[in-house]
Amino acid sequence: MIYLDNAATTEPNEKALARAVEFTKKNYLNPSALYGGAVSSALKEARESIVSKIADPAQFELVFTSGGTEADNQALLTCGRRNVVLSAGEHAAVYEAGVHLKNGGTELRLAPIGKDGSADPEKLLALVDDRTSLVSVVHVNNETGAVNDIFRLAEQVKKKNPRCVFHSDGVQAFGKLPVRLTKDVDLYSVSSHKIGGLKGTGALVKRKGFALQAFLHGGGQEGNLRSGTENVLGALDFAYAAEEKFKTLKEDFARLEGYRERLWQALDKEIYRRISPPNGSPYILTVAAQGLRGEILQRLCLEREVIVGTGSACSSKKPYSRVIEACGYGKDLLNGVVRLSFSLRTTEEEIAAAAQALNASAQELKIRIG
Amino acid sequence: MEKVIIIRYAEIHLKGKNRGYFERTLCVNLERALKGIRHELHRTSGRYLIANFEDAQTEEICERVSRVFGVHSYSVGLCVPYDTDSIYRAAKEVCPREGSFKVVTHRAEKKYPMTSMELSAHIGGRLLDDFPELRVDVHDPEHTVCLDIRENGTALVFGKFERGAGGMPVGTSGKGLLLISGGIDSPVAGYMMAKRGMTVELLHFHSYPYTNDGAKEKVKELARLLSRYSVSGKLTTLNVAHIQEEIHAKCAAELNVTLLRRFMFRLAEKVAKEMNAKCLVTGESLGQVASQTIEGITSSNAVVSLPVLRPLIGFDKDEIVLVAKKIGTFETSVLPYEDCCTVFLPDFPAIKPKLSFIEEEEKKLDVEALMREAMASKEVFLL
Repeated sequence: MIYLDNAATTEPNEKALARAVEFTKKNYLNPSALYGGAVSSALKEARESIVSKIADPAQFELVFTSGGTEADNQALLTCGRRNVVLSAGEHAAVYEAGVHLKNGGTELRLAPIGKDGSADPEKLLALVDDRTSLVSVVHVNNETGAVNDIFRLAEQVKKKNPRCVFHSDGVQAFGKLPVRLTKDVDLYSVSSHKIGGLKGTGALVKRKGFALQAFLHGGGQEGNLRSGTENVLGALDFAYAAEEKFKTLKEDFARLEGYRERLWQALDKEIYRRISPPNGSPYILTVAAQGLRGEILQRLCLEREVIVGTGSACSSKKPYSRVIEACGYGKDLLNGVVRLSFSLRTTEEEIAAAAQALNASAQELKIRIG
Repeated sequence: MEKVIIIRYAEIHLKGKNRGYFERTLCVNLERALKGIRHELHRTSGRYLIANFEDAQTEEICERVSRVFGVHSYSVGLCVPYDTDSIYRAAKEVCPREGSFKVVTHRAEKKYPMTSMELSAHIGGRLLDDFPELRVDVHDPEHTVCLDIRENGTALVFGKFERGAGGMPVGTSGKGLLLISGGIDSPVAGYMMAKRGMTVELLHFHSYPYTNDGAKEKVKELARLLSRYSVSGKLTTLNVAHIQEEIHAKCAAELNVTLLRRFMFRLAEKVAKEMNAKCLVTGESLGQVASQTIEGITSSNAVVSLPVLRPLIGFDKDEIVLVAKKIGTFETSVLPYEDCCTVFLPDFPAIKPKLSFIEEEEKKLDVEALMREAMASKEVFLL
C-alpha cells in the first residue's frame, strides 16, 4: 500500500518512540511532585529542544498541549476580543475558534486568499486597525501547501498595531520548512504526529514575556498556562521525533520538491488541475480532477493500493472544502480535490505508481459516469 | 416468597384454535430474548412466568422482555402460597408506604374460601393498620396492589403493570424482506412489521465506489439495533452502482430515481423469493420525496408480483421520527453518511412520471444483464 496522506498523519518514528517509552517506563513519577525531579528535567530538556529547532530558546518557550487544535484554540480564545483578523485559508481549528468568538460578539474579519490558498498580504493588512486584538495566519496551508510569509506579515501587522497579537498555525510547517521565529510572532502552534510523533501531543510556542492566558485551569502545570498532569511520553516522543526529523530537513526539502514536481508532471493534464503553487511546501501537492469527485477517486485509488487524501466528504449539504472554495474555484473543480502529501519514506517508485493509479482511477470514473 | 416476572400477552387471546401455535411461538421468542441469562420460563393459563433468576438481573430481563412482540404487559411480583398470611406478607413488600391505594384481587381458583372482594378488603385492612399514611381510594388510586390467586395453590402479588411491546409474536405472520437504507424511515418500517409478527429479513443497496464503507457500517449498525426486536440476524447487500451509471448515461435525467427504484424492486423480489419471503416491505411515506408519490409507487409496483407493504404510508416525518427515537435507531440514522451519492441525483426529479414514458426509457437498458450483475455482487453479513 502506498500512503500519500501524510499531511493527515504520518508513521511514528520508531527510534524516537522506543526512546520515549524506555524513559517513561522507568520514570513514571509525577513531574510536578517535589520528588519528580528526573521526569521534570527530561521535560525541560524536551521543551528547549523543540523550541531550539525553530527559534532562539532565550526568546521563545512553549506550552505543551494536546495537539495543534488545542494550541490554536488557546491562542484564539484567550487573545481574541474586539476584532480578529484571519485569512480565509485557516485550518478548521483556527477558523471554528474564530466563529466561536464571533458568536460571543467579537468581530471576525476574513482576509481573502489567492487561487493557491495563500493570504493576500495587502488585503489582510487593510483589515487590521487599532482595535484588532489578534491576527492569525496559517504558515503552510494544510489543504494546498501554500506558504505564507508570516514573518513579513507579522512585522507589518505590528507596525500598524503594535498591541495586536500575531499567531500562526505552523502545524504543516514545523519540521518541514526551515523556520526561524522572529520577535513579531507572538504565538506559533505545532503538532507532533505530523512529523513522526504520537497523536495527542502538540505545543503552543510563545515569545518569552508575552502574557498568554491559561485555557485549562487546575494544578498550575506548564507555568500555570495549561493545567493537567504532563503527557510525559507524548512530550518526550515529540522532542525525539523532532530531533530525527530536523536532522535531514534540508535534504528532504529538496528531494520531496523533486518528487512533487515529478508527480505533477506524470498526472494527466486533461483531467487534473494544479492547485498547489510551485513555491509551496514540498510535502503537499493538491490537484483537482475536473468534473469528478475526489472522494470517489480516493476509493478507486484505494483499490489500486494507493491512499490519497481529500479535503471533502460526500455530503449533499456541503460536499466541498471551505478553503478551496475561498480560493475561488468553480463547482467542477471544487468536488474533485485530491491532496497528495509525502513523508520521508515516500520513494520515487511510489510517486510513479501513485501517478498511474490517479490517472487510471480518473479514466475509469470518467468512463463510468459518462 | 419468590421473585417472579409475570408476562401477559396481547392479542393472542383473540385467536381460536390456533392459540397454541401463537403461544408456543411467543415462548420461543421469549427464550431467545433471554438467551444467556439464567431463568426458568413457565407457561400457565393466560400468562408466562419467569422464575429462578438472579435478583440483580431483574432489570435486564425486564428490558429484554419489553422488546418482545406479543407481550401486552409485564410485572415484577412475588409468588407465594395462597394462604392469607403469606399473601399479606407479600402484599406488604409491594405496597407503597403512603398515598392512596386499592387492592384488586383476581381469582382463577374459584374454590378459594374468600371472594375477591373479601380478600381485597381483608388484605387492604391489614395494610392500612401497618401504614397509617396510606388511605384507600377505589376510584382513582395512586397505587394498586394486585393479588392473582392461581389454581395451583399459589398467589401472584404485584404492584405495577409495565407496558410491553404489544403486537404479535414474531414468526406468526410469515416472512417479509425489508429494503433498508441508512435513513430514518426504513428501520421504523421493519419494526412495525416485526411488531405485527412478521419475520423481517433485510436487504440493502449500496453503490460502491460512489458510497463509502461508512454508509455500509451504518446500515449494519441499524440492522443490529433492529435485531433486538427479533428482526433477522443477517443483512444482505447488493451493489447497484453500475445500474446507476447506465441509467445516468442512457436515460432521461428526471427519471434517474424512478428507474433505479424499479431495479431495486425487481432485485428485491428475486432475493425475497430466494429466502422464501412472501412480501417486500419499504419505508415509503406518501409524498415524502419525489419517488414516493402515487405515480412513483405505481411505477415500482408494476415490476413486481409480490405484495409490497408500506407500513409508514400515512405517517408524517415527525411521527416516524418519534418511533425511530423510541426504538433507538434515530441516532444512528442521522449519522452523516450518504447511502446514495449525489452524483446521480437529478436537479429536478419527475414527481408524476408516466408509466409509458418510464417503460420507453427503460428499453434503452439491458435490464436482465444489469440484474444478473447486481445479483452477483450479493454479500451477506451476519450481525
